[in-house]
Amino acid sequence: MTDLQHPHPALPHGGRGAHGRRSRPYVGSGSFLSCCPFFLITLCAALPAGAEPTTITLWHAYRGGEQQAIEESIRRINGARADFQIVPVAVPNAAYASKLTSALPRGNGPDLFVFAHERIGGWAESGLLMRLETRIDEAELDRFFPETVEPLRFDGSLFGLPMSFKSDVLFYNTSLVEHPPDTTDELIEVASRLTDREAERFGLVYEVASFYHHAAWLHGFGGGVFGSDGSVDLETPENAASFAFVRDLVARYRVSPEDANGALVTEMFNAGRAAMAINGPWFLGEIGDDVPFAVAVLPVVSETGLRGRPFLTSEAVLVNAGTRHPELALEAALALTSDDSALVRALEGRQAVANRAVWSDPRLAGDPVLAVFRAQLPETVPMSNRPEMRSVWEPAQMALRRLLRGAATPEQALTSAQHHFRILTRPSPPEADPTPYWVALALLAAAGIALLWRRARASGVVHQIRGSLHAYAYLAPTALALVGLVFAPFVVATGVSLFAHRSGEWTFVGLRNFFWILSARDFGVTEPMSFYFTLGVTVVWTAVNVALHVSIGVFLAMLMRDLWAPVRGVYRVLLIIPWAVPNYITALIWRGMFHSQFGAINDLLELLGLPEVAWFSGFWTALAANICTNTWLGFPFMMVVTLGALQAIPRELEEAAAVDGAGRLARFRHVTLPLLKPALLPAVVLGSVWTFNMFNIVYLVSGGEPDGASEILISEAYRWAFTRQEQYGYASAYGVLVFISLLIYSRMVRTVTGEGKA
Amino acid sequence: MATVELRNIRKSYGAVDVVKGIDLEVADGELVILVGPSGCGKSTVLRMIAGLEDVTSGELLIDGTVVNRMSPRDRDVAMVFQSYALYPHMTVRRNMAFALEVRKAPRAEIEERVAGAARMLGLEALLDRYPKQLSGGQRQRVAMGRAIVRRPKVFLFDEPLSNLDAALRAQMRVELARLHRKLGTTVVYVTHDQVEAMTLADRIALLEGGVVQQFGTPDELFHRPRNRFVAAFIGSPSMNFLEGELVRDGDHVAVRGEGFLLRTHPDRLGGSAGPGRPVLVGVRPHDLRVVTADEAASFETTVDVVELMGWEALLYLAFGDRTLVVHSDAAPVSGLEPGRPVRLAVAPEQVHLFDAETERSLAAPVETPSPPGGGPGRG
Repeated sequence: MTDLQHPHPALPHGGRGAHGRRSRPYVGSGSFLSCCPFFLITLCAALPAGAEPTTITLWHAYRGGEQQAIEESIRRINGARADFQIVPVAVPNAAYASKLTSALPRGNGPDLFVFAHERIGGWAESGLLMRLETRIDEAELDRFFPETVEPLRFDGSLFGLPMSFKSDVLFYNTSLVEHPPDTTDELIEVASRLTDREAERFGLVYEVASFYHHAAWLHGFGGGVFGSDGSVDLETPENAASFAFVRDLVARYRVSPEDANGALVTEMFNAGRAAMAINGPWFLGEIGDDVPFAVAVLPVVSETGLRGRPFLTSEAVLVNAGTRHPELALEAALALTSDDSALVRALEGRQAVANRAVWSDPRLAGDPVLAVFRAQLPETVPMSNRPEMRSVWEPAQMALRRLLRGAATPEQALTSAQHHFRILTRPSPPEADPTPYWVALALLAAAGIALLWRRARASGVVHQIRGSLHAYAYLAPTALALVGLVFAPFVVATGVSLFAHRSGEWTFVGLRNFFWILSARDFGVTEPMSFYFTLGVTVVWTAVNVALHVSIGVFLAMLMRDLWAPVRGVYRVLLIIPWAVPNYITALIWRGMFHSQFGAINDLLELLGLPEVAWFSGFWTALAANICTNTWLGFPFMMVVTLGALQAIPRELEEAAAVDGAGRLARFRHVTLPLLKPALLPAVVLGSVWTFNMFNIVYLVSGGEPDGASEILISEAYRWAFTRQEQYGYASAYGVLVFISLLIYSRMVRTVTGEGKA
Repeated sequence: MATVELRNIRKSYGAVDVVKGIDLEVADGELVILVGPSGCGKSTVLRMIAGLEDVTSGELLIDGTVVNRMSPRDRDVAMVFQSYALYPHMTVRRNMAFALEVRKAPRAEIEERVAGAARMLGLEALLDRYPKQLSGGQRQRVAMGRAIVRRPKVFLFDEPLSNLDAALRAQMRVELARLHRKLGTTVVYVTHDQVEAMTLADRIALLEGGVVQQFGTPDELFHRPRNRFVAAFIGSPSMNFLEGELVRDGDHVAVRGEGFLLRTHPDRLGGSAGPGRPVLVGVRPHDLRVVTADEAASFETTVDVVELMGWEALLYLAFGDRTLVVHSDAAPVSGLEPGRPVRLAVAPEQVHLFDAETERSLAAPVETPSPPGGGPGRG
């Protein structure tokens, strides 16, 4: 899912490492494998010291060349040491961060792990990382570039040893660009020459809407994320100037496509339709063998004279504070970052290693690509490792997207970003006293049990149950499964909704979460991201979808009914296929089709002479795109239900109606439809509940664009839980509210149709 | 009120011919019954008149207009289906009003007509019930009410009584007759029950194998059947058949077969009836008399089974290798025991003669170019 907005890239593109291979299918089960060494360690610890070398586990997310390189360097280290042996574990990088976050606090994690520096702040605050400055000699740090060591410091302590560094550089196609531009004016000039929009060739292609890649310009214009007092301050004139520059790249000079994702950048560069690109070392592994390219340091911003400075990521080895072998783990870490190991990684893994001495090795000197990364290093700004940084991504990216689709000026975009940031980092609600809740719960439970008991006694249910005990025994496994898989999580989630979760801390806050959500505390009621707005969107989404599903499904079923049988069979299969294809695949395909510049839908509109539509830039168009996709997915179900129900309607009734004088439409309205209702009604209820909670389509197609306006309740809850620093309590409260809404809805349906006629 | 005309109507489903050339004329206000065994094509003909099936070839006229291409709703016919086809989700009132509502008739008129039909059929108390709350007979009447309300040109009935029990059927037959007399609308009625046909129809079209075997008044079909099939189908119990040949008997022509010699009547002979011609003799059970003395042209049979049914009796008699059925009053035959010899006689004019090969009646065929009396039939 490379085109998802990744608001806080540990490594952009999910940390593929320098060679950036795409995630392979699940390689090894991290938790299972991590258990084995754990048992080994306990075993080893039980043995008398010195008898066997201690196993030190190292987690990493490397692939391909980098993986081979680190395994080779570990082999050499292990060969030379008798006191410990490093065991590397490759973890799939999509799950890496969350695996660490869940394993480290419980002492289940590795002794060492390789990670980008950006999460250090959060982990250090949670006490998960070992402080190193007291245990090692400062002289040990001399061998590293200081730029790679600084990001590993937090709160006065050092938390890791640098292994390699990554940043954006300028990639260019040497057959198109002779001499890489050194200033932005040159960049624009070169790019303009090489842009031919008709042929879909662009001078500069990069993920313009990604805040990570925007960093070069942000810093080049003298701006930055943090203000002079150390707090996040996005609303500066320098930042606005950088935003204006990017907007001009897209809208004025028109040398960059306005909405490119990673896959598009790769595709265009490899097809020779992108003269230049801004990307990091992972891009190297994606460039086709037949594309002649070179890299260069990013240009100087002509307006300010400052060089464009991208974010620096320092990939380091970090030590788990809960490791059982602190001294040996540290020794292992030092060995991994020794100059010898670094050389192996540089030569075999083509990493831009943090060790200075390695760079003078003649074998490395001949690599022009690595040399550029080395040259870019002094012109980088390390991503802040403070926990607030993680909350900057979502607002900043939203601001960029609004800017690029012309919905805001640079100043407006940054102001809203700051506002958004403030809300995401607001402190949790004050702790509440759980006593009244316990009392209420106890009373409810007692009342419930008493009521049930009385009813059971009165209706003789107990006697009945005793009489058919074995029947209940047969039902028990299913009931247990239901309890375990449905009821228990539900109860737990309801419990969680009474807490607030911040950086690993749980605070009991009672009903505050609900109060905050329902009182639209953070956002105006009519603003996106307010519960009521999202509820409204969800209701509209559900209603329109179900209406379309039913009408299209019924219409097609009526058409198919009169077809010749073999033809009907063929069509039935064809029309089921949308339903049968896994819906996330469908969603991604449709998303691609709705792309404003390269999508098939706009191509079709162009062909028909109609104006192109920027689908995800407007609320109604984004909603329409989502609805279109979901309808394509949903109508087969209704069609099949209707086909079945139609079989049960005797032909004679319609013949009688025909003779009585009813035309096609009247027959349908007065005879067929009323008789379809008993079958359609449960289908409609089911369909509306499913659509209400249709996370996949909303998340994957529009992704909540624009600015979260097309989110529905369930995708909003997801974001609170998984993209906004694990605010599980708040998200659970959303979930409970969704449940309550659906409960009310199904009650309403029952009342309305309960007294319905035949 | 209208006439219905079928001119050489054919219906095929692919290679299968179901209706093979039918010519019928229904006069204005007449009640014509299409009767025949299952599969004879009568329902198909009815559905073609309604417009629910296409006519493969031939012309169908209603009230003088060719309606082959007309949709059912424009033909102004009302149909009562065998299963009544009542709309289950509508009340009786709405069922009856539906056709008028669809044609956007004014409310007042709808209510008036529905009330009128309900009164005629005794449905007033049931107007607000749903079909599933009605008995079979009640549903049948609602179906008729639905048709009556429309005041169409033609009523089409598709075996409306076959889903009712015997007693109800008899009762409804009478009601139908009364209705027809009252309304005077042209009716085309399909049934497989010849008793219904005989009692209700002004004229009967007896179909078999997709062809009209005979089209005439019940009287004609009963007394002057055109062929063996008609003779066997009409009348219950069915006619007795014997093989024989025509012979000279003095100045008369008689028919001789194994064990019998019967006199014939000139009416039954037709023109070219020469001696030596092999024939099929048909005698109705009712026309066979038990005779005590040795009458001329009587023959001997042996009693097999005696069924006494109160005033009447059915006698099953063995004759050669066949069984003859006699329908008589109970008194003369009550004492007969199985095995007893019994002599039977029949009046010459009641001896039906059919050509042994073609099975056609030897008597001159009765043509009915126009209906008898030219008006609504007997009540």
